[in-house]
Amino acid sequence: MRRASLVAPLLLIGIGLLFLARNVFPEMQLLDYLAKYWPLLLVVWGGLRLLEILFWAATSRPLPARGIASGEWVLVIFLCFVGVSLHAVRGFSQWLPGSRIELGGLDIFGENYDYALAGEKPATKTPRVILESFRGNARITGADVETVKVTGHSTIRSLDQASADRANEQAPLEIDGDTNEIHIRTWQNRVSGSNRRISADLDIVVPKGTTIEAHGRSGDYDINGVSGSIDISSDNASVRLEDIGGDVVVDVRGSDILRAVKVKGSVELKGRGSDIDLQDIAGQVTINGTFTGNSQLHNLGKPLRIITPYTEFSAEKVTDMRVTLGNLNASDLTGPVRMTSSRSWDVALTNFTSSLDINLNGGDVDLRPGLLPLAKMDVRSRAGHIELALPQGSKFDLTATSTRGSVDNEFGAPLKLEPNGRRGSTLRGSNGGPSVNISTDNGQILVRSAAAADSALPESKLPKTPAVPAKPPQPVEQ
Amino acid sequence: MTAGSLLLAIRGPVLLITLGLLMAADQLDRMSFSRTWPVLLILFGLFKLAEHLGPKDEGVQDR
Repeated sequence: MRRASLVAPLLLIGIGLLFLARNVFPEMQLLDYLAKYWPLLLVVWGGLRLLEILFWAATSRPLPARGIASGEWVLVIFLCFVGVSLHAVRGFSQWLPGSRIELGGLDIFGENYDYALAGEKPATKTPRVILESFRGNARITGADVETVKVTGHSTIRSLDQASADRANEQAPLEIDGDTNEIHIRTWQNRVSGSNRRISADLDIVVPKGTTIEAHGRSGDYDINGVSGSIDISSDNASVRLEDIGGDVVVDVRGSDILRAVKVKGSVELKGRGSDIDLQDIAGQVTINGTFTGNSQLHNLGKPLRIITPYTEFSAEKVTDMRVTLGNLNASDLTGPVRMTSSRSWDVALTNFTSSLDINLNGGDVDLRPGLLPLAKMDVRSRAGHIELALPQGSKFDLTATSTRGSVDNEFGAPLKLEPNGRRGSTLRGSNGGPSVNISTDNGQILVRSAAAADSALPESKLPKTPAVPAKPPQPVEQ
Repeated sequence: MTAGSLLLAIRGPVLLITLGLLMAADQLDRMSFSRTWPVLLILFGLFKLAEHLGPKDEGVQDR
């Protein structure tokens, strides 16, 4: 009869003891030891088995056909995988310096250690406050004070307390400069290595007249009640501003939301991000970049300009405008309104009196000027339906052309339909108003008289144009 | 009991010990396992070779 080996039970007992030891002495870093010394387990296993076999051979007992059975090999391979991944997770810092993958280890095994931060420095009434290479969340509030006061805490994610303590010493809160220009440094950039991660939550109270400049890697900025200008640049930041007296410049490479409410100066948003929410902006607004979320713009008193790689939009004044995934809805726009895009957009405009110039690669356009007198309009969508609702008593000189679609006249005289080519048609008519030119290559046009409900934005009467064919789905750029 | 069956029996444990040592060397950043793994292949080959030579001796002895 084949004798059963003693090694497997011994190993099992050993592993059981190890885990028991860890449960009894929780401060023992069993995973660390395992990550480091697991190959010795293989050596011990093989060594014990070898001794056993030699012992059996010496005492002339029957030998097993194989020293290590196939089932045991499977266990060995499993152990290798576990050991290698443990090692990878624990000790990535030696393997891949500067890599970002190692954060997985921190996320799984690390713990957060908090350290309080506090500092204060006297300032003039209108200082410049500069937040340098900051990572974390900053709440900056303007108040009737003549100091810059910082409170908050630094959070260090690390595998052990000692390493977190060292990181905390390397990254002290520093407030220096003179009363006119105050630098707040958190020195988080000094904390290097991949086995620690540091961020800070700061509550900063500044004099009302402060001008703020912030540069950071990632984090949120929440700025409230400051009459100076704001300049934020960050790799990734969500920004919320309220009650700002000066100009605002935000430059981000990524962002969940950029919100500004009640800004007396101009607002300039640059870079890439998601949502934009602007309300009651007295100055000029420029949005330059790719923002792919929902944008809401309310009560912009000065010209608005949106520039993206594919689209340009400008208007003189905006009361209510929403931009979402290839849709642009606006009411009470003051023009001249200009929009050109090499992409497809569904555009709906209500209550506008100034001139309109729209040129799109595709998408449906729904126009309800609502108010008299009518303004000059030049609207073209390469592929899409166009609907124009004219108020009673409108004066216009209208030409509506569809190269390969129908043009419907629900307005009546003086508009008259003329056939145009084989499939298209043109609607023309004038009663001595400004020129209104509407054209599409591929789509229907409907000109109708406005109903009372048209001041709101109800559903269009025309069917929606299906997505422009012959083009792959594209990320929607605003 | 023969030398052949002993060889066969200790093959597994010896390979396991070698694997453990190579892994340990890898762990201590001495030599990466990706460079040293052929050692296992060579060792396995040596065992096979010994096995191949072993039974012949046995046969000669038996006769």
